[in-house]
Amino acid sequence: MSEPLSGSPADQAGPPQFYTPQPNGRVRPTSPHLQIWRWHVTMLGSILHRITGSGLAGGVVLVALWLGALAFGPEAYETFVGLAGSPLGLIVWFALSLAGFYHLASGVRHLIWDTGAGLSPKGASTLTTITLVFAVVATLTFWGWLFASGKVTL
Amino acid sequence: MSAHRSVYRKNVKVAERKGAGGWLAERLSSLVLVPLTLWALWSAAMIAGTGYEGALDWFVQPLNAWLLAATWLVTLWHMNMGITVIVEDYIHKRSTLGLLLGLNTLLCLSLAVIGLLFITRLALGSDPLPAGFGV
Repeated sequence: MSEPLSGSPADQAGPPQFYTPQPNGRVRPTSPHLQIWRWHVTMLGSILHRITGSGLAGGVVLVALWLGALAFGPEAYETFVGLAGSPLGLIVWFALSLAGFYHLASGVRHLIWDTGAGLSPKGASTLTTITLVFAVVATLTFWGWLFASGKVTL
Repeated sequence: MSAHRSVYRKNVKVAERKGAGGWLAERLSSLVLVPLTLWALWSAAMIAGTGYEGALDWFVQPLNAWLLAATWLVTLWHMNMGITVIVEDYIHKRSTLGLLLGLNTLLCLSLAVIGLLFITRLALGSDPLPAGFGV
């Protein structure tokens, strides 16, 4: 650390808020922040992939509870189905199925990218838009089928 | 970081730690989970609304129990890797990082064992727990 501190805000051409002191004491330009970043669909796709993945981990715990309720006999199962089939429970399953369909499609999107295909800016955006539309359509179809066939009732 | 001795194979430096194994494991688990997840969603729709007896009947089919056990294990493996990546991205303090990664693995392993226990009992048609624990 013999070098003197270079580039104090006063030396810089731009307004001082665009410069940040680094841990080593130097002052460097601040990288672009989220507020001024132009939103693009692959960014949304990436964020949603992580959020839905985290949510599905909670879903795994719920499935473990379902298995446990079934293994503990009819009364336990009735309690579980009562909660799972309540309006609030159905909202949770609906959200989990949406997260599941999205994470599934988005995962396939990543596998396609891993082969080297669809990596141009346009191709990546198109693939991500398809993923988002698929998740919504598949979820609505799935629940439409569940309600129409009388498997699930409100 | 300290005592790692670089290993070379055909003049190319071989990864010192986990290398590409983690990357491959993520892809392999994803690939396997695509059909298994679709099957699980289909199964959920088949079981929905059939009650306790209907769910038990589903488990007595050996193929269902085996596929569910496979789905359960691969899902938890995939989930463990996913949570690991998230924790590594956001937690920088060494001790907290280690603690959370340990808890993650503990959670996934516990869920795997408990789930397999339930699935096995349901597949074998064992008596309801806890009375049937001795069966």
